[in-house]
Amino acid sequence: MTQTNLMAALRERRAVVLSLAAVSGALLCGLLLVAVIGVPIANAVSAFAEGAWGTPYALAASINRSLAFALVGLGFVLANRANLTNVGGEGQIAVGAIAATAVCLHIGVADLPAGLAFVLPMLAACIVGGLWGAIAGILKVKVGTNEVISSLMLSFIGVWLLYGSVQSVALLRQPMTSSGTLPESLEIPDATKLPLLTGDPGMPLHIGLPLALVLAVLVAVLVHKTVFGLRLRAVGLNALAARRAGIAIAPSIVGVFFAAGALGGLAGSMMLQGEQYSLKAGFSSGYGFDGLVVGLLARGSVTGVIAGAMLFGFMRSGGINMEMVANVPSSLVLVIQGVIIVALAGSARWMDGNKGGAR
Amino acid sequence: MSDMTDGAMLAVFAGSTLRLAIPLVLGATGELVSERAGILNMSVEGMMLTGAFAGATGAVATGSPSLGLLIGILAVLPVALLQAFLSITLRANQVVTGIGINILVLGTTTLAYREIFGGRSRAEVPGFDKWHPPLLSQIPVFGEALFSQVWLVYLALALVALVAWTLRSTALGLAVHSAGSEPKAVEKSGMSVTAIRYGAVLFTGLLSAIGGCFLSIGDIHTFTEGMTSGAGYLAIAAVIFGNWKVGRMLLACLLFGGATALQFQLPALGIQVPNALLIMLPYLMALLAVGGLVGRQSAPAYLTQAYVR
Repeated sequence: MTQTNLMAALRERRAVVLSLAAVSGALLCGLLLVAVIGVPIANAVSAFAEGAWGTPYALAASINRSLAFALVGLGFVLANRANLTNVGGEGQIAVGAIAATAVCLHIGVADLPAGLAFVLPMLAACIVGGLWGAIAGILKVKVGTNEVISSLMLSFIGVWLLYGSVQSVALLRQPMTSSGTLPESLEIPDATKLPLLTGDPGMPLHIGLPLALVLAVLVAVLVHKTVFGLRLRAVGLNALAARRAGIAIAPSIVGVFFAAGALGGLAGSMMLQGEQYSLKAGFSSGYGFDGLVVGLLARGSVTGVIAGAMLFGFMRSGGINMEMVANVPSSLVLVIQGVIIVALAGSARWMDGNKGGAR
Repeated sequence: MSDMTDGAMLAVFAGSTLRLAIPLVLGATGELVSERAGILNMSVEGMMLTGAFAGATGAVATGSPSLGLLIGILAVLPVALLQAFLSITLRANQVVTGIGINILVLGTTTLAYREIFGGRSRAEVPGFDKWHPPLLSQIPVFGEALFSQVWLVYLALALVALVAWTLRSTALGLAVHSAGSEPKAVEKSGMSVTAIRYGAVLFTGLLSAIGGCFLSIGDIHTFTEGMTSGAGYLAIAAVIFGNWKVGRMLLACLLFGGATALQFQLPALGIQVPNALLIMLPYLMALLAVGGLVGRQSAPAYLTQAYVR
């Protein structure tokens, strides 16, 4: 083993150890807070475990949640390879979900054969999410706009577009039958829902899981083994040198933002077609931002994205059950999550070896 | 409202625009200083929420809104120090530290509120009374509606003027500006980029805390979970739309406040405009601004970049 390989391996191990330390430390904080609140720790922990993985249904729900985090996280890793920071996941989820809902309900895809009923809405979500993401790339290339700022603004705009689209019957809101009709879309037709892997509604794992895993492998290969990945790296390291070397920078930047946006849009369609089945205000309660954090904390590693996504998925599910069963406010999970993010962001410089983390 | 004259209606609109803009003005003024010094301080949302919570809790505990304000300001110190330590000393990614702190604060304040006050009650807390400035509030039609505000409104406007003057005409302002655009030159002149940036982030914390206190003990005299609900992000949008200049930033805050006020006023006038459009407008304007559609943008050159000596 050469010395650089050895260094890289050591750094890798240090990163894993530090990550585990941050997570355990944060969980310990959580236990402490449970004790302060005055709930017996055993009750809280068993409620958490029950909700996170205690039943087949809970386990499937947690994994389905983590799919969205993983897809947004993968998009982040992809863009970050070119030293670009995509903060637009939340908006990409929103516009993707809008597109998927529109296709499911209004284009009449439900009668199409051979799985097209659920594939077309996903495809529409990818395209719309991709275009939404590409705006940040185009602004970067044309005007030099900082992509952190533009994609953040695009996130908020997307979220309110979703909110607006379920407020108006002319858009996606269900027909008003009484004054009590909720501002949400109709439930999507059964044929457009994602098929379950086991066919058992008690274990609602859907085909999004294998799809996300395939995409994870694809992203890993793309980033580490292809010319495109190398180009992204070159653009990220030194755009000027990359241009001199004949790499077309603008298409690389716009393209990678499109890809990241498409992954975000796909996450939105999976949340709709695999989990919630109707579009409503508050459809994504920060999934895009959690996904961004997952991507950032993974520091370029696809395995890291998967681990982080699972962690966040289990925590969300467990937290909700803890509130319902053990009377521990689910905001406790936010505290734990916040501690993990802050601890890992703060220790990034010891994990990466480069200065200042991802950027 | 039908018996109101057009003038009176306009006066009410102007008054509520100002009232709704003030938390943004405070947060954005603080944020502007941070960003000019090179720190994209996403935690302004968390800082405002900390101020709102600690201000309300302090006001209940002491029975005095003034002491509440003081407690709100003190409570934001550790939050601002954490942001500064992470993004300046540890050179952590500024976006992710901001998001992390916001999540942490939202969780902590929600948890603490339930523990202290029980349930989701919206108990009234001691708050500041409106001040009726002599002469100004006696102007016919507009006086009462526009100028009868909590004194924090006037403090906020004074602080904006002070910051504008400091940035434009003092050595301190030049130092802040240079920390975000020419950090190497700052070091060469014998000053510390680190110290300037720490100061800028703490200043953001101070102003955000006052902005948060305005929400809870100034405006509506209660605290609700996550009550800032994105005001901090709006403040960041205002700074961007304002092209990192105080005057335009103030204008942006008033525009955003006006858009919010319209949500309540338009239905009263019988005009139906989708709410979502009005809420989205500020972000859309900010995007158009950074997209170069509203004149040239000039972000601080070293914004979001950690300084390495």
